[in-house]
Amino acid sequence: MSAPETLAIETRDLSKTYRLGFWMNKRVLALQGLTLAIQPGQVYGLLGPNGAGKSTTIKILMNLVQATSGLARIFGHEPTAKEARRNVGFLPENPAPYEYLTGEEFVRLAGQLVGMSGHELDQRVKEVLGAVGMSRTAGLQIRRYSKGMVQRIGLAQAIVGRPKLLILDEPTSGLDPVGRREIRDLILQERERGTTVLFCTHIIPDVEALCNRVAVLVNGKLAREGSVQELLTTQVPVVELIIEGLGPDAVRGLGHPLEQVQDLTNRVLVRASDVHVQPLLKSVLGAGGRVAQLQPARFSLEDLFLQAMSEAKHGTVGGEITS
Amino acid sequence: MMRPFLALMLNGFREARRNRVTVVVGAFAFGLLVASSLLTNLSVSTFDRVLTDVGIGVMSIVLVLLAVFLSSGMLSREIERKTLFLIVSKPISRALFLTARFAGNMLTLGALLLAMGVLFFGQIALYGTLITQAQFVAIGMLFFELMVLSSIGFAMSSFSSQMVSATVTIGAYFAGHLGGDIYELSSKAESPLLQWVGKATYYALPNLSRLNYRVQATYEIPTPVAELAPSMLYAVAYSAVMIIIAVILFSRRDFK
Repeated sequence: MSAPETLAIETRDLSKTYRLGFWMNKRVLALQGLTLAIQPGQVYGLLGPNGAGKSTTIKILMNLVQATSGLARIFGHEPTAKEARRNVGFLPENPAPYEYLTGEEFVRLAGQLVGMSGHELDQRVKEVLGAVGMSRTAGLQIRRYSKGMVQRIGLAQAIVGRPKLLILDEPTSGLDPVGRREIRDLILQERERGTTVLFCTHIIPDVEALCNRVAVLVNGKLAREGSVQELLTTQVPVVELIIEGLGPDAVRGLGHPLEQVQDLTNRVLVRASDVHVQPLLKSVLGAGGRVAQLQPARFSLEDLFLQAMSEAKHGTVGGEITS
Repeated sequence: MMRPFLALMLNGFREARRNRVTVVVGAFAFGLLVASSLLTNLSVSTFDRVLTDVGIGVMSIVLVLLAVFLSSGMLSREIERKTLFLIVSKPISRALFLTARFAGNMLTLGALLLAMGVLFFGQIALYGTLITQAQFVAIGMLFFELMVLSSIGFAMSSFSSQMVSATVTIGAYFAGHLGGDIYELSSKAESPLLQWVGKATYYALPNLSRLNYRVQATYEIPTPVAELAPSMLYAVAYSAVMIIIAVILFSRRDFK
């Protein structure tokens, strides 16, 4: 029997509370008991609204903030150990490389900090600058770069050390559609190479395009977790109906549990779960209405995200605040 | 471990080199050194002394201000601009990051001191006045004074803002030159508590007056190396304690 493979990332009951105010008496519960297990080779998406705890999770993993309680491991090492970061490439949200350096100098510095030198470093710097499309502008000082160019240099410095794990915080934010596509392609290339990728975003199409597995965080807590397929198929099937001859109030008055009722001028769009459709149809026809259209509604990751948020009763920006 | 240290240290030097403040300060120093030549025209009998006093004095003021600016702002700027995120997330310890930045800072100040020293001795040679051991000692010991001040700036900047850090460092500079007076005053106090507080303050503050050899340079009084060694050791030890404090505070800090 082979030994179990070390998890790329593991967190158990991970929590972070920030203390704010002059007397440090306000507490922000940024992260509450997060448990995650990310296998090597997975592309794992952390989804959530602003203040959900995504960046806090990443900062704990990168030893930028210390957890209040719980456990975090990267390839079996605690975040405080240098070994934990040896095989990790990190791109923070809105990366801020040294502006007085050129793009090439900064990527070279990043390479030196992961222990590269000489010909290997020269080759690798050239390679990654090409990969992020910055070969031609690598000689300019970073202070002259646009936001998209800074993002690309940020990504180049993250991959220069050939990491086994890439941690990317909002990697496509601030990019135009072409830039976004290029960064997505680059992440896909890394996935092909077998690199584990953890990235957090609130751009849902990116998650759908890239991730094997997703965790939805709301209010610093894990709201959903699973593969994209699992999360979507385990939802109760929903059916969409377009009804004519009855107004929205009349449809609501039929007494069936409905997820959504929307007035479409002379027609009403109704969303109801699959189990309630047959009795609803009978009632609509019985009340003199006509069903113009009936189709299964496609449940998207966006719906899942919004559902998780509504279950958490909103008010999530910045995490829960207690005094 | 040495490679990342050197990379960060040299990067600190490069930052200062590309920072316009350094250029402005260099030009300022050059201007004042030239002005000192003009001042000497006003004095007849103490030509050598004025040249040395003004030259080394200007060097000291400019470099002390630069040391305060560089050390008190370096960490807080990195934290504020979040440039730090891309560096401390690499497989290096925060202690290495901090000591390498400090070393880069000292390299910058050392290079500027060297450049100003060359200018100063060039000026001395130009006027055909005597180059003395005391001048070398004063300039060399200025480096140790800058090291102590930078270490205080670093320690402060590891947990406070640039403004607070700069204010405390400048305060430490003045108090450090008045250390002897503080000790004298506390000895004369009647209350034992006041005596104790005065002495504790004297030992906590950097004794910068023991690193100041400008008077000896002005009056051409040579200082034996045996007398300099304890002062150098004192400066190194004081700076080491400050850097250790900075490392402890910086290592525990959250970067939100």
